[in-house]
Amino acid sequence: MNKNKFGILSMLLAVVVAFTSCGNKGEETLGNSKIIINEVLMVNETNFQDDYGMHSAWIELFNKSFGNVNIAGYKLECEIDGQAVKYTIPKGDVLTLIPSRQHTLFWADAQPNRGTFHVNFMLDSCSTTKDVTIRLYDSGDKLLDETTIPAGTLTLADQSYALKEDGVKESWEIKGAGTEKFVTPSTNNFTLDRNIKMENFTEKDPAGVGMAISAMVVVFSCLIILYIVFKCIGKISAWNAKRVAAKTKGLNEEETKEAMAKGSTPGEVFAAIAMAMHEMQEDVHDVEDTILTIHQVERRYSPWNSKIYSLRDLPKK
Amino acid sequence: MMDFINFLGSNLGDFWAYTGFANATWQHFAMIAIGIFFIYLAVAKEFEPMLLIPIGFGMLIGNIPFNMEAGLQVGIYEQNSVLNIFYQGVQQGWYPPLIFLGIGAMTDFSALISNPKLMLVGAAAQFGIFGAYMIALLLGFDPMQAGAIGIIGGADGPTAIFLSSKLAPNLMGAIAVSAYSYMALVPVIQPPIMRLLTTSKERVIRMKPPRAVSHTEKVMFPIIGLLLTCFIVPSGLPLLGMLFFGNLLKESGVTRRLAETARGPLIDVITILLGVTVGASTQASEFLTIDSILIFGLGALSFVIATASGVLFVKFFNLFLKEDNKINPLIGNSGVSAVPDAARISQHVGLEYDPSNYLLMHAMGPNVAGVIGSAVAAGVLLGFLL
Repeated sequence: MNKNKFGILSMLLAVVVAFTSCGNKGEETLGNSKIIINEVLMVNETNFQDDYGMHSAWIELFNKSFGNVNIAGYKLECEIDGQAVKYTIPKGDVLTLIPSRQHTLFWADAQPNRGTFHVNFMLDSCSTTKDVTIRLYDSGDKLLDETTIPAGTLTLADQSYALKEDGVKESWEIKGAGTEKFVTPSTNNFTLDRNIKMENFTEKDPAGVGMAISAMVVVFSCLIILYIVFKCIGKISAWNAKRVAAKTKGLNEEETKEAMAKGSTPGEVFAAIAMAMHEMQEDVHDVEDTILTIHQVERRYSPWNSKIYSLRDLPKK
Repeated sequence: MMDFINFLGSNLGDFWAYTGFANATWQHFAMIAIGIFFIYLAVAKEFEPMLLIPIGFGMLIGNIPFNMEAGLQVGIYEQNSVLNIFYQGVQQGWYPPLIFLGIGAMTDFSALISNPKLMLVGAAAQFGIFGAYMIALLLGFDPMQAGAIGIIGGADGPTAIFLSSKLAPNLMGAIAVSAYSYMALVPVIQPPIMRLLTTSKERVIRMKPPRAVSHTEKVMFPIIGLLLTCFIVPSGLPLLGMLFFGNLLKESGVTRRLAETARGPLIDVITILLGVTVGASTQASEFLTIDSILIFGLGALSFVIATASGVLFVKFFNLFLKEDNKINPLIGNSGVSAVPDAARISQHVGLEYDPSNYLLMHAMGPNVAGVIGSAVAAGVLLGFLL
C-alpha cells in the first residue's frame, strides 16, 4: 500500500471514529427531540373548546426547532396504572406539519373519529388521582419525549401542567392556579415581550465601550489564529519546497541540509536568470525572412460546438 | 351629451389621480435628484460604476410617485409586487452570501498567505465599525440600530445589507445606500487621512516582496479559514461560508467552470438585482428621514475611523518589527474591505512619494483580511445583539 492510499485510509478512519465518538447528536432521541410535550390540561370545564364546541382534556406539543416538522405517523401514548394506550397520528393531513417554534393541540377525548387531532384515549378528573405518563414516539417507535404528571398535581379544573419556558425541559409548573400563571393552549407558555439582551446592553454598556472591546478581541482572536496557522503552514511549505528541490538536484542528506540552511533564492535572481536566458536566445536566433503570408482558415466557430463547454477536465492523476 | 362629457371628465380625473404628477412630493424629486447625481458620479467620474449605476437607477425606479392607496402592486414595499419579489433577496439576506461567493471566486489570497501578519491590519480597521457603534449610541440609536449602522465602517456592502436586514430592517435602505456610496467615495475619503497620519519617511518604506505561495497552501486556506473563523463565530457562516467556498472553487483548479460562473455571470446577476433593489428601496416616503441623514453622517465617520485605525495600527505594529521587515503604513487604509479600491488607494498614494514603490500586492493582504474581519465583526454583532 503506498503512502497516499495509507493517508486517505487513515483520514477516513479518523472521520468515522470522530463521528461515532460524537454520539448521535444529529438524531432525535429522548432529551433532544425537536417535538416535545409542552403543556397538558386534564380537566377542562371552561377552558379552550375543540372544533365541536366541546371542553375536552388536551395535550400540547411544541416544535422547538427552527424548521418545520411533520408529525404524521408519530405516536402519542398515555399510561395510567400500567395500562398504556397508543394513538398513531394519521398521515395525509397537511395540518400535521408543525411550523418552527409553533404549537399544536391534541384532544384527549377518546374520539379519534372526530379528526386527526382527537386521540383514542381520554383524560378526565379520574385521571388526576393517578400518575399519568404521556409519551411521544416517532414513526419508528423511538421514544422522543416523556412526561409524568404525578397523582394529585392538578387538583382543580382548568389547571394545566406546563413547561415554564417553551421547549426547555428543565422545570414544570402548574398553570391556572392563580391570576399570574395563565393556561396557554396553542400559544407560548412564557411570553417574551422585551429584548433582554438589548436592555442589558442599554443598561450596562450605554456607551458601547464593552461591546467595542469584546468584539474587537473576538475579531483579533480569529485573525490571530489564522495568522499563526498560516505562519506555520508557510514555514512547512517553504521547508518542503526546499527539500523537494534538493531531492530533484540529487543532493545527498548532508548537502540537502546545507542547501536548506542557505535559505530560498530571492525572486529577483530568478528574474535576472530568465532575462539573461531570454536575451541569449534572442541573440543567437537566426534572422527570419520578412515575407508574411496569411492564409484564411475556414473554421466556423460557435460556442455551441466547443467541447470546453460540455466536458469536464480529467483529474490529473 | 353632458353626461358623456362628465363621464369622460371623471375618468380623466381618475387617470390624473393615478399619475406620478398628481402624487409627487418634494421628497420624490429630492430622491430622483440624488439618483441622477449617483449616475453622474458613475458615468462622468467613474466612481464605482458597477454599484452606482444600478443603485442610482434603482433610486429613480423607487421614487416614481404613484397612488399608494390604489393597491397597484408596483411599489417595492407592496407585498408580492415584482419589485417586492426582487427585494426579498435583500430582506431575507440571500443576495449578500451569493455576492460573497463571487468575491471568493475572484479573490487571490496569495498576498495574505505569503505574509499572514497583514491579517492583523484587517482586524484593526474593523474598529471603524465599533467606533461608529459608540457614536450611534450617543446619538440615541438603540444598540441593534447602532450595530447595523456601525457595520457601514466595514466598507462591505453585502455584509452591511445582511446585518441590517437582521438587526434593523427599517434602516436597511439608508445603511445600504450609505455603505455603497462611501465605498465609491473611498478615493476621496481615505488619502487625506493617510497623509495626515504618516510621516514622509514612513510613506517610502519598502516592503519585502511576497514569497511564492504553493497550490497546496492556496487550497488549504479556504478550508482552514472557514473552520477556524466559523467555529469561533458561527453567526458569520452565511457570509464566510460562501466566501471561502467561492475561493476553494477558484483555487482547487478542478472546478474552473463553477469558479467562472461564480465570479462572472452569477455575481453580475446578483449585483444587478442587489443594486437596483437597494436603490429602489430608498422610496422617499420611507427613506427621507432624520435617521437617514444621521446614518449618512455616521457612515462617513465610520470610514474615517476605520482608515485611521488601520494606518495607526501599522505604525504601532512597526515598533515591534525589525528594520528590514517593516510595513508601509500607507497600506493600513486597506484594512477596510472595499476590495480592491482601498488597495488601489494605497498604491496611488505610495507612488506619489516613491514612483518605484509598488504597494498594491502588499495592500491586497489587509484588504482581503478586511473582508474576513468585517464578516467576523458582523457575526459578533449578530451573536451579541440578536
